[in-house]
Amino acid sequence: MTQVDTADPAKRQRLSQDLDAAIERLANARDFAKPAKLMPVLDLARRLMLADGFAEIEARSQALEAAGVFAGTDWAQPHILLPALTCHSLKSPSSDVVVIEALSELRLLAIAMGDVVHAKVSAEQAHHFLTQVLAINLSMLFTPMSEAERESQGRLAKVPRAMLTYLAERIGFEYVMDQLIAEIWRILRQRPIQVDSVKQMVTQIAICRGSANLNLNNTGLGTEALIQGADRLVSSLFGPTQLCREDPGVAVYAERLQHLDSSALQSEAFGCSRAMHDTGLVSPYHAVLLRTLCESQPHLIVDALGLSGTGRDSLLCYHDLVKALIEEAVTPHTPQAIYGLTLMLERGILYQPAVAPSLWRQLSLGLSPWSQQRLNLVFGSAVSPRTRLLEGVLLMLGLPLGIGQGNNPTCQSARALSIWSHIDPDFLLQLIASAARDDEIIMHFEGQPISSAPALEDTARPLPIDLDPVSILLVPHLDFIYGAMGRLCAGREGDPHRWINPEFHGWRVCRGFRINVNVATGQLENLEDFLRHFYAYYHPYYNGNQPLIHPQPAGIAITDSAARFIGWHAITIQRVALDPNGVMRVYFYNPNNDSGQDWGDGVVVCTADNGELYGESSLEFERFASRVYIFHHDTQEPGEPDKVPMENIATIQGYIQRSWGKERCAELTLQASPGAPQA
Amino acid sequence: MNTNSEKGYVALLGWSLNAVEAAADFDRRYIVVAPDWAKDYCDQHDIPYMPWNFERINERSMEIAQKLQELGVDVAIPLFEETVEWAGAINSVLLNNPRLLGQSMLMRDKSLMKRRAQLGGIRVGIFEEAHDRDDVIRFLRRVNQTLLKLDGDPNDPIHFKAFDKAGCLGHRVIRTPDDVDTIPDEEFPALIESHLDGWEFAVEAWIHDGKIRFLNISEYVSLGYSVFVPASPELEKHRAAITQQIEKLIKVFDIEFGVIHPEYFLTSDGEMYFGEVAYRPPGFKVFELLERVYGFNAYQGMILAFDPKTTEQEITEFFPKEVEDADGYAGCFGVYPRRRVVSRLEIPEETEDHPYFESHELTPPMEETVTKRTAFGTHWGLVYFRGADADEMFTLLKRQQELDFYV
Repeated sequence: MTQVDTADPAKRQRLSQDLDAAIERLANARDFAKPAKLMPVLDLARRLMLADGFAEIEARSQALEAAGVFAGTDWAQPHILLPALTCHSLKSPSSDVVVIEALSELRLLAIAMGDVVHAKVSAEQAHHFLTQVLAINLSMLFTPMSEAERESQGRLAKVPRAMLTYLAERIGFEYVMDQLIAEIWRILRQRPIQVDSVKQMVTQIAICRGSANLNLNNTGLGTEALIQGADRLVSSLFGPTQLCREDPGVAVYAERLQHLDSSALQSEAFGCSRAMHDTGLVSPYHAVLLRTLCESQPHLIVDALGLSGTGRDSLLCYHDLVKALIEEAVTPHTPQAIYGLTLMLERGILYQPAVAPSLWRQLSLGLSPWSQQRLNLVFGSAVSPRTRLLEGVLLMLGLPLGIGQGNNPTCQSARALSIWSHIDPDFLLQLIASAARDDEIIMHFEGQPISSAPALEDTARPLPIDLDPVSILLVPHLDFIYGAMGRLCAGREGDPHRWINPEFHGWRVCRGFRINVNVATGQLENLEDFLRHFYAYYHPYYNGNQPLIHPQPAGIAITDSAARFIGWHAITIQRVALDPNGVMRVYFYNPNNDSGQDWGDGVVVCTADNGELYGESSLEFERFASRVYIFHHDTQEPGEPDKVPMENIATIQGYIQRSWGKERCAELTLQASPGAPQA
Repeated sequence: MNTNSEKGYVALLGWSLNAVEAAADFDRRYIVVAPDWAKDYCDQHDIPYMPWNFERINERSMEIAQKLQELGVDVAIPLFEETVEWAGAINSVLLNNPRLLGQSMLMRDKSLMKRRAQLGGIRVGIFEEAHDRDDVIRFLRRVNQTLLKLDGDPNDPIHFKAFDKAGCLGHRVIRTPDDVDTIPDEEFPALIESHLDGWEFAVEAWIHDGKIRFLNISEYVSLGYSVFVPASPELEKHRAAITQQIEKLIKVFDIEFGVIHPEYFLTSDGEMYFGEVAYRPPGFKVFELLERVYGFNAYQGMILAFDPKTTEQEITEFFPKEVEDADGYAGCFGVYPRRRVVSRLEIPEETEDHPYFESHELTPPMEETVTKRTAFGTHWGLVYFRGADADEMFTLLKRQQELDFYV
């Protein structure tokens, strides 16, 4: 647990009195004078927090809010706050941001405890919010301050830790664990390629379970499921089978495997693959087992990968290739490669004639010094850069929808990688080979070649570091080419995506293009026509029941949980189909790392339970349509735009008007069609 | 607060949030006269506002005076050095007293100001006007000859002050001819004066009907770094003599009303030397410090002092009794980063944990590299202290100079 200076009560009392005076001055100040009066309040609050005076602040939370501490910021609207953002604000180098975030949490605590009644948040909502905050920041509760935090925050770094500890004590640890476990499962059900942070959280649960801090038996309702959920996560990483249940270390496990007979080995294989398919997490023990089987009992590889009929056929047809891939890519440091390999086999893409030879090239590919250095820098040198890249290749081919853009503004590059992995894997492998070996890829824009070589020469450009191995190498090239294509479109009228998208992603992107925003004015235009054609190309009831053939890039107006416009974002429409409840849904790929997002006004993106495949997001057709601003379509397949009922259009217009279209509706109000529901 | 139309109507020249707040909470009508950029803010917060760009005074100064007169404004109050002569020009119209413009011009020119003081029998140091670097070097040499220094003795420093800048802006200390080379051309012409060894302090005096209504002595701990009020008992011992000096100043400069902010040196033999005087609120937030210890709003006091409709009773009741009514000492320290490269703001623990520490208005650094300080320059923000003991306050403020606030 985080240690807090046991400051003397006299100091806390003095600071509390000063804080009271500062709050009063802020409360009495006129609007225009508030900013100057706010600073002493935040400063005193910070010092009180450093003196462990959280209870004192909690008691004053209503006075603080009434005085206007949160006025003019998002914190003034506690009902739209997102727990996920707290991990950024609590680590901010700015003390004001840290303090105001902490004040907000303490205010919610007072609400959750029933001491304060708030107009916008109920006690239950506050409680739920705080448990999520704790779950997301759990690492701060259980691990000491990192050098990075010390460097950027100094003494301030104590504040978020001490505050979270205080919250956890007031709310109770059991809720935190419950929430955390649910959160991990929610993320894992999207099967991301990058699972390092999930593995860290699971490790923390394992540590907590070993310590006295957590008594899982006292948690009342849902306990059984909770314990099982936690057990499954921990065991899938640290003890997937009987033989390694007590986490003996990979060397001991390898030794034990030597003494097993064939049926015992098979049982180990089943255990490992079950854990992997349950969670998407792969234990280092699994890697040890697979390498052993590869040498001595290759017929058990099928069971160790948990393959279905399709995967088994692929494995049998390409046995040498798979063996070589296991030998080169699967190590205890790169166990996730097993999951990538498994799902790649299941996808059957080895049967595409160019894929297997491409993988053979990948196996013996010589990496450029730049690529080697880059991979070592990001992932460390526990395994060779070639092995690291090979793990990334397998994961990308196995989980096309698990690619994330990290904390980088490169959604187009991530989306392109996903599309190629999905429908054009040998092209993707070609790009990987060029980038990793030659430090250059060349793409064409309307016949004109564009080389990405300058991307690596520009040392001023920050390079991404929070991506999977393939993206680490490819994204700088792709981002450069994407930008270059944009520059070639300069001067053309309208939105450049019309030309860039098909040139960048390939011929499968339809050349028909529609946009409902006037690029010059930012106002909505031709909305009804736009929506009718969206229906006519994508909705099976209006396009002759034609399933979408190739995933199509589309542009989305992203809104926050209060339905306010945030920005434009690139996604891929994967398919449109009825969900298990008979509702027409759009299933799409979102390059954001966590696709479960609340876009406000009831538009909540689902990632599971509505027929989604791993990594897919989904929305009801109308709600999805209300956030689209760009789509591609095949002009030779017009569908039946006129058949779309006016009330569907009106419903969508309502969603648009209540969210990102609020200030873009100059035209919309003119054409306000009869029968359109007024929001 | 409800305004009383029987009382005066004042115009505040320049933008100061604290002044606006004080005026808004007071019982008189007011209007802010400030550059265009203040417009949106004033509109948004219902602050009475008239746009005006205070450049050099010119033929258009009549225009603003007439506009204010049409509104019924009684008097204009300068908040910054740059608006002092505007206030003089406007008030000479509003109060039908052409002498006020000339008076304000005196206040704006450090050299004229010194000569006027000297003519009136006030003691000043040796000073001259410098038009180029040679003038400065000659003066440095002559002053040190006068002091009977031999070649090779370290020079006594001289002070170099741009003519029309407020406070420490453009104020340099020159010790060697090399220092002279660092002065940029645009700072000429300037006032150069000999260094007086002594106790430097400032006074803020609120004057109405030619009489001092409140006189504060601000004690400098280190010039350009720190100040506290009221002054320590040792300095307050000289209050009677200081009051006499201020009365002399009022007479020499023919001041009927307003707030003056002169600076003096008290030498070891008890002589007082006049440094300079400004006709505006002091920098370094002395007004705010006064409010912390006396509880009255110094800006409101300023409005009273300027307003010709203020009654004798009103102004007598407004001000507390100097020193006696003060509840402790309030001081502030101006922070300059000490390192060349800084990455964040961190208040030193010993500062923050001191019982006198009140608050600060420092902001995180915008740039990592700190520009080298040339003149006294501008501090990065103030740190406020309050406590019961003057000696402790002095030591505490002095100590801050050795600490890093930006690391």
